[in-house]
Amino acid sequence: MRTYAPASTRAVLEQLLEEPSLARGVVHHEVREARGADHGDWPSWLDPRIRGGLAKRGIERPYTHQADAIEAVHAGQDIVVVTPTASGKSLCYTVPVLQALAEDPSARALFLFPTKALGQDQVAEFGELVQDAGLEVSSACYDGDTPAPIRSAIRKAGQVVVTNPDMLHSAILPHHTKWFQLFEQLRVIVVDELHTYRGVFGSHVANVLRRLLRLCAHYGSSPVIVCCSATIGNPAELAQTLTGRPVRLIDRNGAPSGEKHLLLVDPPVMDAATGARGSALTLAQRWALPFLKAGRQTVVFGKSRVAVEIMLSNLRETLRMDLGPRSRIRGYRGGYLPTERRSIERGLRDGEVLGVVSTNALELGVDIGRLDVAVLAGYPGSIAATWQQMGRAGRRGDVSVAVLVASPAPVDQYVIHHPEFVLGGRPEEARLDPDNLHVLLAHIRAATFELPFEPGEAFGPGPADDLLAFLGEGGQIRQADDGRWYWSSENFPASEISLRSAAPENVVIIDTTPDRPRVLGEVDLFSAQVLVHQHAIYMHESTQYHVDRLEWGERKAYVHRIDADHYTYANRAVTLKPLDVFAHAPATGGTRVHGEVMVASLVTLYKKLKFVTDENVGWGPIDLPEIELQTTAYWLTAEGAAVGWRRDELDVALIGAGRAIQAVAAVLLMVDPRDLGLVSQVRSPHHEAPTIYLYEAMPGGVGLSERLFARHAELVEGAADLIRACPCDAGCPACTGPRLEPEVDGNALALRLLASLGSGAGSGASAALRRAAVA
Amino acid sequence: MTAEAAGSVTRERRLANLRATLARSGGAPVGPDQEPARAPFAGRRSPVLAARLAAALAADVTADEGALLVRRVVAPVEIPVDRERLARLPGHPPADAPLVCLDTETTGLATAAGTLAFLVGLARWEGTSFHQVQLLLPDHADEPALLAEIARWVTPDAWLVTYNGKGFDWPLIEARFRMAGRPAPAHAGHLDLLPFVRKVFKHRMENARLRSVETELLGVSRVGDVEGWEIPQIYLEVLRGGPIGPLAGVVIHNEKDVRSLGLLLAHVEHRYADRAARHEAPRGDLAGLARAYARDRRHGEALECLDDALAAPPPVRDPFGRTAVAPAVAREAAQEQRDAWWSPKVRPHFGGRAPGSTGWRGDLANGRGGPLGPSPSAASWDTGSNRWTDERLAAERARTLRRLGRWSEAAEAWQAAAAAGGGLGAIAWIEVAKLREHRLDDPGGALAATRAAWRLLERLRTTGRAHPRLEADLQRRGARLAARIGRRTGR
Repeated sequence: MRTYAPASTRAVLEQLLEEPSLARGVVHHEVREARGADHGDWPSWLDPRIRGGLAKRGIERPYTHQADAIEAVHAGQDIVVVTPTASGKSLCYTVPVLQALAEDPSARALFLFPTKALGQDQVAEFGELVQDAGLEVSSACYDGDTPAPIRSAIRKAGQVVVTNPDMLHSAILPHHTKWFQLFEQLRVIVVDELHTYRGVFGSHVANVLRRLLRLCAHYGSSPVIVCCSATIGNPAELAQTLTGRPVRLIDRNGAPSGEKHLLLVDPPVMDAATGARGSALTLAQRWALPFLKAGRQTVVFGKSRVAVEIMLSNLRETLRMDLGPRSRIRGYRGGYLPTERRSIERGLRDGEVLGVVSTNALELGVDIGRLDVAVLAGYPGSIAATWQQMGRAGRRGDVSVAVLVASPAPVDQYVIHHPEFVLGGRPEEARLDPDNLHVLLAHIRAATFELPFEPGEAFGPGPADDLLAFLGEGGQIRQADDGRWYWSSENFPASEISLRSAAPENVVIIDTTPDRPRVLGEVDLFSAQVLVHQHAIYMHESTQYHVDRLEWGERKAYVHRIDADHYTYANRAVTLKPLDVFAHAPATGGTRVHGEVMVASLVTLYKKLKFVTDENVGWGPIDLPEIELQTTAYWLTAEGAAVGWRRDELDVALIGAGRAIQAVAAVLLMVDPRDLGLVSQVRSPHHEAPTIYLYEAMPGGVGLSERLFARHAELVEGAADLIRACPCDAGCPACTGPRLEPEVDGNALALRLLASLGSGAGSGASAALRRAAVA
Repeated sequence: MTAEAAGSVTRERRLANLRATLARSGGAPVGPDQEPARAPFAGRRSPVLAARLAAALAADVTADEGALLVRRVVAPVEIPVDRERLARLPGHPPADAPLVCLDTETTGLATAAGTLAFLVGLARWEGTSFHQVQLLLPDHADEPALLAEIARWVTPDAWLVTYNGKGFDWPLIEARFRMAGRPAPAHAGHLDLLPFVRKVFKHRMENARLRSVETELLGVSRVGDVEGWEIPQIYLEVLRGGPIGPLAGVVIHNEKDVRSLGLLLAHVEHRYADRAARHEAPRGDLAGLARAYARDRRHGEALECLDDALAAPPPVRDPFGRTAVAPAVAREAAQEQRDAWWSPKVRPHFGGRAPGSTGWRGDLANGRGGPLGPSPSAASWDTGSNRWTDERLAAERARTLRRLGRWSEAAEAWQAAAAAGGGLGAIAWIEVAKLREHRLDDPGGALAATRAAWRLLERLRTTGRAHPRLEADLQRRGARLAARIGRRTGR
């Protein structure tokens, strides 16, 4: 099949599906019908200049979701807009903000984006609309790149200030007296890419917003909050938890879409005994290539920088041999320079760039227009990200194709065999816990620095007095004669908090690659043990770094950039002790519990595993002290289910079932499997029963365990399902973990245990998942 | 179970568990079943503290709508200042504006919202006597009284006199007023003496700290003065019930800071306010003063200063022909000395300027400080980075003439400066070329100047010190001039 002539997307797809070696791997193929646009009307109060500017940009009428949002913001309602990629979300807030500024130039708006690059994009786009509308509006980015002389101008006169949560936290809020013009007149706060504010980061940002709103109240403003999110399972709840206010959900998508084919593809099994499968990268290239040759714009997503580079060079090489358009294929990832990225984005919009191989860097709201084909080499880790990446394909008047190619990893295998789950159901819920004690205390310190606390004043759900009293014992906060709590230390508390990690004490990662070493990031101690031990391969923005040494006493890890074909995995030896039970309930065969635990962790050795195949290519020792982690956990005891078991078989069954539950939990809650630690005890000293613990691998947790407690039945069901669907004989890395003792059938034992814990008790194997899908 | 309900229940429980853990590991003084170590809040404490502070500092306690303030009046001293003469200096207040000297002591170095100005020293002249008052907060809650008192002092017609007050003290006061929900008091002007001292005196001082000003200019040296970094802790300890003795040192420190503002102003007025007075000033002072005038666009007075500077004796030269380096640089060199030259931490050095700067240059230098490294007496020489040589002064003078629009004199001055040769010579010839081309309508002369510059740069290039940007500029300039001359002659 050597076609370089342009061909339609449909024709190429039909040809591909007739190719037996490819068609065999297609596990699922569904077609979404084309749908037309649903338009609303511009509100009557809209300034004619803004309407004219929009018309100049080719926007004659708003889609329904835009019209709803604009009306709601104007009426002072907090909203969250949830629609697919490239459906014109930013118009939902730019139009009402412009209207407010047209009515009153002293008004102010604050736009928050999770990264600098997205903020800079937005300023450019907003500036174009302002110009077309012929309005005088000063909008500017306030981030780490903003030069000092411009900063003071933005503080005084910036009508629309675009920034990120880190900058808001460390540079704007502690210096609010210099920003009083902004705080006094703040009308709209925009939180874009809401779905990225989850986990530890989200918990921090929720507290940053509490501080922001507290200062607004001090200056007498009461801004409306507009959140925009990609599709996730609980947008309204997430927005409410993050902002602390009830938020109206706007999800009536009015944007049109063309016919779309969604395919789930599994690489062929190479070895039935071990369950080993072929490479996802190779298969992804095979799917992408014919579309590129036919001149269809295609994006290929890889999970790491290495995967991206491998696929990029292979695609180019193949196209070169076939005299195809190889120079129009570009790579796109974190390490590229901003100008280079901008030129690729522009090339994609105007068609100059034909194909792009990217990490998830293109997943966020970067404007690249709509493409014909998206190929995902590996499950991106969450349903929401899958939808985001698949959403990059979608021509309005034409056919588009999205292909998800699974890797052999357990989560991928689970997902690929449950198409109703990944394509039909609802995506994950994003969790965060603004009341994580470590996070909360840190931000109460920062908030006290910004403004003294009144006695009885609430921060979050309740009065902060007991927490202030606790901090007062440390001496950095004091209650003054007027009963208020004041900051009484020479330290600058905001500088002690990194929004991207939970613990107050962090290991700083220093990149020694450039001439002048720079700080790459921070990780909490608990994660540091496994992520930045000596000789670890540390991944940062899909770039690999080798850890040259870890100075544990100084809390510093020195790394340099490398390109390795493997990653490292450190074995954590964990002992766990329950501290407190927050909630417990009987479950089939035992009890389910949500509570607090103390985890002692010792890391003694690491393994080197090859990318893609996860093949073990070496190991090394790690010499680090044991550390303790106080966190929240979910656990299930099997006092009823395990009656009459042999102890050795029970041990294998607990580990197998635990691994499967862990994999399913990671899928359900949209987290990295490493965020959840697993401990199984044949006889827990605390409960005197066989127990499986899933604990959150960050101090205090971020609310994951509470959700696991609530979704216990789905976990047990899903775990059994995962094991049953796995094509291996008796346990493999994709389900119950690698086989430890060859003569034991780990799968059968785990399934037996799960059955007595209630799997299959419902109406069939994947009943819970289907319930989730319908809900 | 709603999220809120769950949150508030577990929040208490988690706090209790955290306390328990901390108690077990010895990290905090309290356990879950003990009472907190500190007594809980029990009404007003500041009247007692204020009285104790007043007694210890020989001060009074004043009350303002329930808020207390410890007010210390310093015995007035005579500091005569001729305001008419003072007003002639660049950036200095007009003769009729009341002056308010101000200096604050704070709980931190950031001018952010959580930093408190707990001690504010203020002063004003009544005739020739200098009246100082210090305001000390006995408690966070008493801040309204402090702000009210500041607002009474700073009147709309007043000028503030501070040292680094534009960057620190006043923005901090502004922040405190903003926190209290109102703007800071308006005033007619603000004389921050730090930038003035930097321009005029920095060349002969180790740094621009007020204490160095006292030693170098005012002939005052402080004994047993409290260090700036100790001050926040001393005050915060007092609030926590600690000893109040050390705070007396802070109050004296602040008193001296404010008095130095008055003395510095008088010194500047006596020695620099007119041409006759500054007759004996070092040439570096005069050159700096010229810059200060130039900043105010008073180029005529700047030119006077430069002429005086050129007439003043040249700076003392090191007898060995070594170039002294600025003391700050020398200090770094001394630190670097801790690593012996053979240790692997030290990069190899193959001649030329020592890697990472520093130390001494010239025949006697060993490249890294070493045994011939800088001594404290280095500070008494005119320092290298700020050295006001005849050539530099001449260049400065030529620039000033150009700003005054005296083109031909400026061109002559540049030509004189160009005699120095080297990189500066080339730049001077370029300036000559600019003036001849654009102001004096002499493209032929401009081309000659361009060629002269080119020759100097060529010589530099052969000795390995190329200036590619200057060369590129000259090439463009030369081509343009040649074309212009060609057009003229062709016509």
